[in-house]
Amino acid sequence: MLTLRNVTKRYGTITALDDVSLDIAPGEFFGLLGPNGAGKTTLMSLAAGLRTPEAGTVALAGRPIATAGAAARRVFGLVPQTNALFYELTAEENLRIFGELQGLRGSELKGALDDALAAAQLTDRRRSLVKTFSGGMQRRLNLVAALLHRPKLLLCDEPTVGVDPQSRNAIFEYLQQLNRGGVTIIYSTHYMEEAARLCSRIGIIDHGRILALGTLDELLVQLPFEDEITFPVAPATAPLVARLAAEGEITAVDGTHRFRPRTGYPLSAFFSLTESLNLPPRLFVSQRPTLEALFLHLTGRTLRDA
Amino acid sequence: MSQVLILLRKSLLTFWRYKAAVAITFLVPIVLIYLFGHVFGLYSKDTGPTGIPIAVVNLSSEPAAQKLIDALRTEKTFRVVTTYDLGKGATRPLTEADVRAGLNDNWYRYALILPADLLPDDGFGVRMKFLFNPRNEIESQMVNGLLQKTVFSNVPQLLGQSLQKNARRFLGGERFERFNRTIANTVADNFGGDREKIYQQTIAGDLGFSELNRAGVEKTPAAPPGLRRLDSTPALATPDAQNQGANPQSLNPAAASSAEQESSTNIFSRMVKIETEQVAGKELKNPMAARLVGGYAIMFLLMAVSGSASSLFEEKSSGVFQRLLASPVRPAHILCARFLFGIILGLAQISALLCAGWVFFGLDIIHHVGALLAVCLASAAACSAFGMLIAAISPSAAAASGIATFVVISMSAVGGAWFPVTFMPDYIQRVSRLTLVYWAVEGFADVLWAGKSLLEVLPKVGILAGIAAGVMAVALWCFSRGKLFD
Repeated sequence: MLTLRNVTKRYGTITALDDVSLDIAPGEFFGLLGPNGAGKTTLMSLAAGLRTPEAGTVALAGRPIATAGAAARRVFGLVPQTNALFYELTAEENLRIFGELQGLRGSELKGALDDALAAAQLTDRRRSLVKTFSGGMQRRLNLVAALLHRPKLLLCDEPTVGVDPQSRNAIFEYLQQLNRGGVTIIYSTHYMEEAARLCSRIGIIDHGRILALGTLDELLVQLPFEDEITFPVAPATAPLVARLAAEGEITAVDGTHRFRPRTGYPLSAFFSLTESLNLPPRLFVSQRPTLEALFLHLTGRTLRDA
Repeated sequence: MSQVLILLRKSLLTFWRYKAAVAITFLVPIVLIYLFGHVFGLYSKDTGPTGIPIAVVNLSSEPAAQKLIDALRTEKTFRVVTTYDLGKGATRPLTEADVRAGLNDNWYRYALILPADLLPDDGFGVRMKFLFNPRNEIESQMVNGLLQKTVFSNVPQLLGQSLQKNARRFLGGERFERFNRTIANTVADNFGGDREKIYQQTIAGDLGFSELNRAGVEKTPAAPPGLRRLDSTPALATPDAQNQGANPQSLNPAAASSAEQESSTNIFSRMVKIETEQVAGKELKNPMAARLVGGYAIMFLLMAVSGSASSLFEEKSSGVFQRLLASPVRPAHILCARFLFGIILGLAQISALLCAGWVFFGLDIIHHVGALLAVCLASAAACSAFGMLIAAISPSAAAASGIATFVVISMSAVGGAWFPVTFMPDYIQRVSRLTLVYWAVEGFADVLWAGKSLLEVLPKVGILAGIAAGVMAVALWCFSRGKLFD
């Protein structure tokens, strides 16, 4: 559906995207995970045809986006990072303007307005000024404003920044529902939990380069360990730490030991060892490695630090 | 106290970083002070208004008439026009019909007609006619005052000639010459001097009135040139006086003089008959409102439209441009819509102002709807384009606001929205004609003051439309190179 080939974009001396290639298939829920300034928004704006690359091509359904006409532009919808709304107008007036710009008229427009207001849970506030809305309500309206014309491709640029958990969940559920309905979604975020929860495929981006690309499982396989066991730093666990040093990587951060066993090290061996040291099982938490760990592995920095 | 100082430092730093505020704080007052200085003649004696055109029709064969014209030519304030341009370098002397047409068309706003009977055969004294179009109140006051001064400085010789003319008619040629010879000989015998020279002076009309007049003038307390000129014209300055219109009235400088300034000039004023006639605006209920509304309308319009164009930056920062441009909308659509919005906003604002003028001051807008609509539309388009240009050249909303404030105030001053352009230095007058304010003010004055028709104001409407097109083209070029849509 969307193809980027060897795309490079610079702002003066800063290279925002560096030789990026990417294929987004129809029906995919693709996540673009990276810290602030990684190049996510630039990639989104290139995909939306808002900017042109210095090198490479961006194509929508096989046609260069730069030369795409109005009809081609109706294929996608963009949810900007900021709430791109007219605050002095009502929710309905906002949606009507954006719908009309997309060429909707009459009953088609009315139906789209009603559906969008219902999806944003703003039907009863349709005649309220947007400036009177809470941050979450504005975010929801910002999202549905991009969907009035029922696009086949939805570009969501960090749509949950500053959103309360309740609104965030509502947005997640709505996006998943859209994706199930066949809408292709490209979703940029710097929250690994969002990418892990929503996306069928994830690209990790940093300093304008795609560092890793694949499903969650495919990405996590790249880590040199399969599991991660945490337990508290305490005198009782000190003998365990000494015994584990040869079995994998062990670090201590904020009062917690993090043990990443070497490939092939059986968890049964770990728990046999804890039993022999009379350490109760409740001290240990075994979990699957996270995208955070992968980012740390790939860049040497955490997403938060980057 | 330390908290106060810290906060004070913060305020100073913030102010200094906001370059637009710094520019507004210092540049705007300096520019305005400079312009006001010229208007009120606060610089050297060589400054002040120059080149105000005044038409002179000389139908008199008296040598003194030409001397009066020459005296007017020496006044730097005036640019004396005595001929009608026939094209290809050919000219002919102006006629009264020419100057009436010229006054109506605003080629000049003042005309002096020296009639064939400048020195009447049937009496003693001087006659002339002054036609004027007080389209600008301040300018009219100043010109009338200066004209009086010039005329009365030359009155003594004119009176002497009138006396000689009457004496020749009354005594006959031979007795008249003998009479003058006797006078010249008597003067030479008793007071000294060359008999022939005194005789020539006598028949030329120089009977010593010049000295009498000069003595009178010297008694008058000195005043700054600009202020004295303005102060000396109450007889013509009042709207009532102007509105008497075609009814000839005597221009009486005695009314302009205080009791303390009583001088021999008053003697001449009773012997000099100047018929005055206002040729335009005399039927207006409220001339002042008709004069002012254009300037203020265009200034407020510029402010409103500039503010509106600056809101483009808000839409950019809110991400609305991203959303719009991701839909089937191009930057040209956004700019075109904003330009049209500026025009509609401008039309609405000017209409409201004109309606207010109609309600409060009896401004006649009903009979000029077509012409007013054309001027309003063209002015609104020019202002809207100007607002777009401000947005196009500004890097941010704050900068746009600062630039707009500076340019709107400066352009309003230079363009004649506040005071007459003719009071400014020549080079500023030339710059003035490059501003949309000048043409809009002239357009409104043409309709509201001179009552011109739609057809007659079309040239100025065309100039405003041309300014709108040109400025908008530059704005679009700047937008295409700028970062507003990045």
